[in-house]
Amino acid sequence: MKKTFGNKKTIAIFVLPALIIYSVFALIPIVYNVYLSFFETNLMEVNKFNGLKNYIDLFHDGTFRKALLNNIIMVIGSLIAHMPLAMFFGNAIHRKIKGASFFQTVFFLPSVICGVAVGLTWTFIYNGNYGLLNGLLKAIGLGKYTQVWLSNAKIAIIMIIIVVMWQYVGYHMIIQLAAMRNIDAELFEAAEIDGATEWQQFKSITFPLLKPILKIDAVLIITGSLKYYDLVAVMTNGGPNHATEVMSTYMYYQAFNILRYGYSATIGVVLMLLCILSVGISNVVFRTEKEGR
Amino acid sequence: MKRSPSEKIWLVIKYVLLIAFTITCLYPLLWLLLTSFKTNQELYINTWGLPQNFSFKNYVDAVVTGGILRYFGNSVLISVTVVIVTAILATMASYAITRMEWKLSKLVYALFIAGMTVPIYGLIIPMFSIFKRMGVLNTHIAVIIPQIALGFPMSIFIICGFMQSIPRELEEATVIDGCSVFQCFWKIIVPISRSSVVTVMVVQFINVWNDLLLPRIFLTDQSKMTLPVGLTNFKAQYSTNYVGMIAAVILTIIPSIVVYIVLHRQIMEGMVAGAVKG
Repeated sequence: MKKTFGNKKTIAIFVLPALIIYSVFALIPIVYNVYLSFFETNLMEVNKFNGLKNYIDLFHDGTFRKALLNNIIMVIGSLIAHMPLAMFFGNAIHRKIKGASFFQTVFFLPSVICGVAVGLTWTFIYNGNYGLLNGLLKAIGLGKYTQVWLSNAKIAIIMIIIVVMWQYVGYHMIIQLAAMRNIDAELFEAAEIDGATEWQQFKSITFPLLKPILKIDAVLIITGSLKYYDLVAVMTNGGPNHATEVMSTYMYYQAFNILRYGYSATIGVVLMLLCILSVGISNVVFRTEKEGR
Repeated sequence: MKRSPSEKIWLVIKYVLLIAFTITCLYPLLWLLLTSFKTNQELYINTWGLPQNFSFKNYVDAVVTGGILRYFGNSVLISVTVVIVTAILATMASYAITRMEWKLSKLVYALFIAGMTVPIYGLIIPMFSIFKRMGVLNTHIAVIIPQIALGFPMSIFIICGFMQSIPRELEEATVIDGCSVFQCFWKIIVPISRSSVVTVMVVQFINVWNDLLLPRIFLTDQSKMTLPVGLTNFKAQYSTNYVGMIAAVILTIIPSIVVYIVLHRQIMEGMVAGAVKG
């Protein structure tokens, strides 16, 4: 038996195609990217070693700081907006409600739709002339607040976060709902017999047992918010005047608009480190808590 | 069980909010669909209501002047190739990792899974450089290869998770009956793992179909673009023909929505499982 399942040639045939493609086009480029971040390069022959200059420049680059700040606003905004809303809807659907599967299917739907299509749809909603949002404001007598939403540098990033919310609240709800359904139903039955209200049940059963998944969900929201590209690229492309620039759009701009590949690679490294860091930190937090128990 | 008055009020609030969010999710899509049948003038005058007559002119515009069909074809070509190749190679690799006996299997698995934390931005510049040297920039290969490579972590994670639960006795019995490892893989393991492979395929399809970044970077010819890039060009070129663009948006999202309606359970499970690892 061992011979049949331990034959080196057979193993190689099964695993090597995937492993080679993955190594050449994913693992090696990651390392190469770190290397490139120390150079000024046009990616063909001119390679000037720059040392840490790219990183120092990045630190002093006002637009990059603005982009980073926008990403942080997105992280915080998404954490505040997605998680409680997802939890509310998840809990509502979890506790015997009619049409549960209908609601969950509909809420998840936006997250499978192409980000470009979503972005375009919302540019129509935010449009200054005939947009749905201005129409709605006029209809309820708040006409004085109508404006061209995405051209207002102060609020454009908030308007984008709202779209992100529309697209992904259902996604986070499904994640939390899956964890809620893993909770032993007898706990709720026992609590009900003891006369606990739904709020009490949520507070002392659902929420405590949901904590591990909430941490995972938080990491997903953080890394997701650091990586957003499509919506911003379509709705504002970083404008007006870099007001909605995020790291991904700025990285694209540096590489493919003004051809500073080395500098762009540096942004890529920073973005990657931030993602790995947020996952790493959450893992450490996890482990210490498990040991503490 | 009887409900107290406060519980009844709470129940009403819950339904109101659930229905409100349902409308928020569906109304923009419905509005798009209705608007896609209107004329540009109608869009200004009658933004909210039903179109006066359902004309398919905008769809004809999107196809004839917008060239949406070509983008559509490119998107189909790229996503179908990626989905099939990823599924086959990831299933094979998962089989070797979970069912065969070799020292490095854990390490190889860890290498694949590590890719789930790395954002694509950590490798687009080097990939651009590699493809430039290979001379494949501006060909579909330049989009297909990275999509396959980047699809492995999620795919292998999901398929391995499933294969680990298959009892060993099944294979051992077939091997004793004289089957080779290949036959065992093809006749026993693949059919049993079908559901997890389908999950991987639909999730991968949605990801690739919707992706904007890679085609935007690696392709330059209009004639080779995929739908998402085509839509952004549409926005730039025909910025006054809003209704034509809306028809193009509808054509772009229809395949994802159809796939979702048919396979929503797998998609939900897959997208959640792929994200919530460890």
